[in-house]
Amino acid sequence: MLRSVLRLGLAGVLLSSLVANAHARELDTAFGEIEVPDAPQRVVTLYEGALDATLAAGVTPIGAIASRGSNDVAAYIGEHTDVSALEMVGVTRELNIEAVLRLQPDLILAAPQLSEEQYQLLSRIAPTVVPKTSGFSRDSWKAETQLFGQALGKEAEIDEALENVEQRAAELNERLSDANVGGTAYLVRWMPAGPMVMSSELFSTGVLASTGLIVEDEGLVSEGSAHSDVLSLENLSLIDSDWLFLATLNEDGQQALDAAEQSNAFTRLNVVQQEHVVPVNGQVWSSASGPLAAQAILNDIEQALLP
Amino acid sequence: MTVSSLTQRFEQRTLLLSLLTALVAVSVVSLLVGAGSVSPLQALSILLGSEDSDAHFVVWGLRAPRTLIGIVVGMALGVSGALLQAVARNPLAEPGLLGVSAGAAFAVALALVLGSSAATLRISVAQLGALIGCLCVLGVARWRGVGNDPVRLVLAGAAFSALLGAMTALLLLFDQRSADEVRFWVIGSLAGRRLEDLIAVLPSIAFCTLLVALIARPLSALALGERMASGLGHHPQLIRALVVLCVALLVGAATAIAGPIIFVGLVVPFVARAFAGPDIRRTLWFCLPIGPLIVVSADVISRLVVAPSELPLGVLTALCGAPVLIAVVRARRLPML
Repeated sequence: MLRSVLRLGLAGVLLSSLVANAHARELDTAFGEIEVPDAPQRVVTLYEGALDATLAAGVTPIGAIASRGSNDVAAYIGEHTDVSALEMVGVTRELNIEAVLRLQPDLILAAPQLSEEQYQLLSRIAPTVVPKTSGFSRDSWKAETQLFGQALGKEAEIDEALENVEQRAAELNERLSDANVGGTAYLVRWMPAGPMVMSSELFSTGVLASTGLIVEDEGLVSEGSAHSDVLSLENLSLIDSDWLFLATLNEDGQQALDAAEQSNAFTRLNVVQQEHVVPVNGQVWSSASGPLAAQAILNDIEQALLP
Repeated sequence: MTVSSLTQRFEQRTLLLSLLTALVAVSVVSLLVGAGSVSPLQALSILLGSEDSDAHFVVWGLRAPRTLIGIVVGMALGVSGALLQAVARNPLAEPGLLGVSAGAAFAVALALVLGSSAATLRISVAQLGALIGCLCVLGVARWRGVGNDPVRLVLAGAAFSALLGAMTALLLLFDQRSADEVRFWVIGSLAGRRLEDLIAVLPSIAFCTLLVALIARPLSALALGERMASGLGHHPQLIRALVVLCVALLVGAATAIAGPIIFVGLVVPFVARAFAGPDIRRTLWFCLPIGPLIVVSADVISRLVVAPSELPLGVLTALCGAPVLIAVVRARRLPML
């Protein structure tokens, strides 16, 4: 009985995905099936991952939100488009819906966390694509990127961008193991009272893991949150690993390292004494996602681990 | 001096001694327990001269500095609370409620936004902010001629603290980068503070100690009334100014090392008065062990409740202090100062 119900359900899922493929301009989003225009011209991205994916697909959006902890988009975006042409329409936590309306978009790409109320408002302005991601998982950004690619009608470009990331990671993985570099790694955000361990299920830690490093969070991060609480300095030895990636919310990882080095609980860690601490750009490592950010992270890893 | 007052003095002295003993005991506990993997037994063997380097670092490198800082912060907050309550003649005067902590936090936020890094400048800036915040509140309350009205002073303090808090929030909105660094200033904590920070504020604390020793006597005369104090040859205006300076320096120093720790300055003088009676000089003596006792105990608890993380100390003191304030308000008999 149970088995036949399961089979029926599975058949249904397969059938519906076939139907979705047949009509490529109809998308399966978190708020149900929506229809998107054939070739969107005025795209507004309300999510850093969407901005990244849109640029990776070769489309230039007209509006975007600021990177977390900043008043502008993440600095790495500037390498891929003319940032001054991008209208800012708010920050992650506070969308300026009037600014979105003013831009008169024909497609809105939003974050998976978008609330129902905001969706109702935005979807009256333009078709709003909200990915179905829930919780944190290393690879959810790929599905998100693919969905945005479908929405833009640029499936081929996105598939290529994702493939490039995978290839580059595999290549880096090989070079690292050839150079005998590897082992365990943590991604940590430094706070004045101590470190916060970032979940091993994030976009950036996922990219880190794809190069062969063993990324952990020691069970310190509870299910469904991006990072642990601020760890007691007494427990700093828990993050003593082969490599320590150190970020703040903003661009300046070096500043985070300087602050951390004032604490002798930090400087006595083995990983610090081996100079295996890598200060990284928090905009890319703890806020962004998408194929371009993945390439930026892979660049960082290559530069730090294969000097 | 009568026999009864002599026995009373003797009793108070033993009381003071037992409070000091309790403080020593709590300090030892503070060295023994923590959020980390170093057990009380291991820590004890370190105290007895064992040489395990990791445990040695945790006990002497982490727990000892924060215990020391807790003791100094507790003393500073307790004494400044008692001083402020005496000079404002108001049992509800609390440095945190009087805009001192909010002033310090605002000054630090301003300095960070203007580009100074968290490591430099912090202590003098926080102290200056505390002084200005305190002066503003006392100024507002005095201008209205309601220096003796507990409710108005507390309201003026609450209003000013809210204003400064809003301005801090505004600064942080303009410059989101500072938000991370300033978050620490919204809720106090002893974690991750360094002995260097403590040493940086020691001169001003020493200066305040000297000042308190000088003004304690005129201050207790002031309790008899302004005219009586003038008649005894004191200068009420000068004394008040010195006390405010002292409170701002002490609280500024405490806030600079540990962030705003609210309610300690309110609760400690209450407990001290219960032991010492109304005389401000004795109250001050009792504040010295009681303040650190409360701060260090709260810090020990804050380390244990959410291990392997720590609860910020400011959260814990607010959780415990708020009910005390409510109890004070509900007990109709507010002590007259």
